[in-house]
Amino acid sequence: MIYAESLLKVLVVGLVLGAGLPAVFALGLVAFSTGSGGADADGTAHAPNPALKYLGLALFLFVAWVIVTAIAWIMRATLIHHFGIDLFPFIHSK
Amino acid sequence: MIILVLLIVTALAFDFTNGFHDTGNAMATSIATGALKPKTAVLLAGVLNLVGAFLSVEVAVTVTTQVLKVQNSKTGQLLPGITPSTGLTIIFAGLIGGILWNLLTWLFGIPSSSSHALFGGLIGAGLAALGSKGVNWTGITQKVLIPAAAAPVIAGIVAAAGTWLVYRITRKVMKKRREDGFRWGQIATASLVALSHGTNDAQKTMGVIALALITTGHLTGNVAKDGLPIWIIFSCALAIGLGTYIGGWRVIRTLGKGLVEIESPQGFAAEASSAAIILSSSAAGMALSTTHVATGSILGSGVGKPGAEVRWAVAGRMLVAWLITLPAAALVGALSFWISNSVSSFSTQLVGDGVIFLILCALSFYIWWRAQKQKVDANNVNADWDSSTNSVVPADVREDATDKAAV
Repeated sequence: MIYAESLLKVLVVGLVLGAGLPAVFALGLVAFSTGSGGADADGTAHAPNPALKYLGLALFLFVAWVIVTAIAWIMRATLIHHFGIDLFPFIHSK
Repeated sequence: MIILVLLIVTALAFDFTNGFHDTGNAMATSIATGALKPKTAVLLAGVLNLVGAFLSVEVAVTVTTQVLKVQNSKTGQLLPGITPSTGLTIIFAGLIGGILWNLLTWLFGIPSSSSHALFGGLIGAGLAALGSKGVNWTGITQKVLIPAAAAPVIAGIVAAAGTWLVYRITRKVMKKRREDGFRWGQIATASLVALSHGTNDAQKTMGVIALALITTGHLTGNVAKDGLPIWIIFSCALAIGLGTYIGGWRVIRTLGKGLVEIESPQGFAAEASSAAIILSSSAAGMALSTTHVATGSILGSGVGKPGAEVRWAVAGRMLVAWLITLPAAALVGALSFWISNSVSSFSTQLVGDGVIFLILCALSFYIWWRAQKQKVDANNVNADWDSSTNSVVPADVREDATDKAAV
């Protein structure tokens, strides 16, 4: 079943990008929020922790980077067609 | 030539209805959670749809080759037995089917698929004109029907998983910080959905215009290799952008308020799932319905959050609309073709196509007028949902309208 296979592919890609990336973003938020100090939902107080804060920012940046790369991948054919720029010269998918 | 111009105008009109019918896919959750002001949201969505339309042509290729069999897939020549004028009338009638169905579902605030409306219209007109050999059944099954059935399910699973993960991971974070953080995430992911809507849906109209130009011989058949003329891309981008900006408030309301009461982490997870699926399928040239994906995602975000409530009655009504969209639009498409064909049999083709064009204008105006009487706009889009009627029109507006009718 070729359909089942391609649907499975979409499901896997969807889970990785559609649920995995939000989870990474959520982790970033947890790190950033804990790093900023203050009280949690359960009332325990924390001192600010700059390292955790930067970790949070790094996770946000990672998410942004994946998104930009994905859009560039989709634009690939158009960019090659109109401008002759190939952003992914080492990958030949077609 | 006049017919060709008329057809391109109608195609752009379809693109416009596509835009305002589908604003909600991207922005409904952001509007419902208050992450964006309604007007800001539609402006953002409009601009991003415009930009998105320029990104890729994969889906346009699918439309020109996979729905109707008017051209030889190898040479791009018209198949024997199809004259350019029949070809144009088929496409024209198909567009009319698509537009009317889009407007009708908008009136009832049902987020049905614009793509199915378009394909349904084309298939109906094709069947009426050429019989079943004019329709590319394998193409439709593989590239339209199967994705249509699977997309909402996959989107639902992904969004449910995302929502669950997100709530699980951030359960210790302060509520205010969590809301703020996800509000930003939500704006970002909603923007991505708007962008992907532009790449996926604007291309469908580009594909139709290309199909018409191929039929008349203004364009060679090989869109995949030669790309599309820039004016087609530009005008489609503009039409869908404008349509999105006008905003289909009725559909936005159903998606944002009707299905699930949404919090910003849910909205974020739902939009992330929609964006991932729509973008990956655009890249693969699958003309899947952005509406089905967005609705599936929003439902999934309701299922994935512990304790959230999904209004299955609204979801059920939507499902019915999805099932009948293709055949209903096909019927309108076929009717339009028959009317045009029988009128032109005792006059000219221009008169025949003109007649269905006028019918389209009249019916569109009527639907718009009906909608104006019970208006849903940026001001009352977030009014409380009335679960007793599940009507898209807020309760006070409906009472106003009945009062006026009584006087």
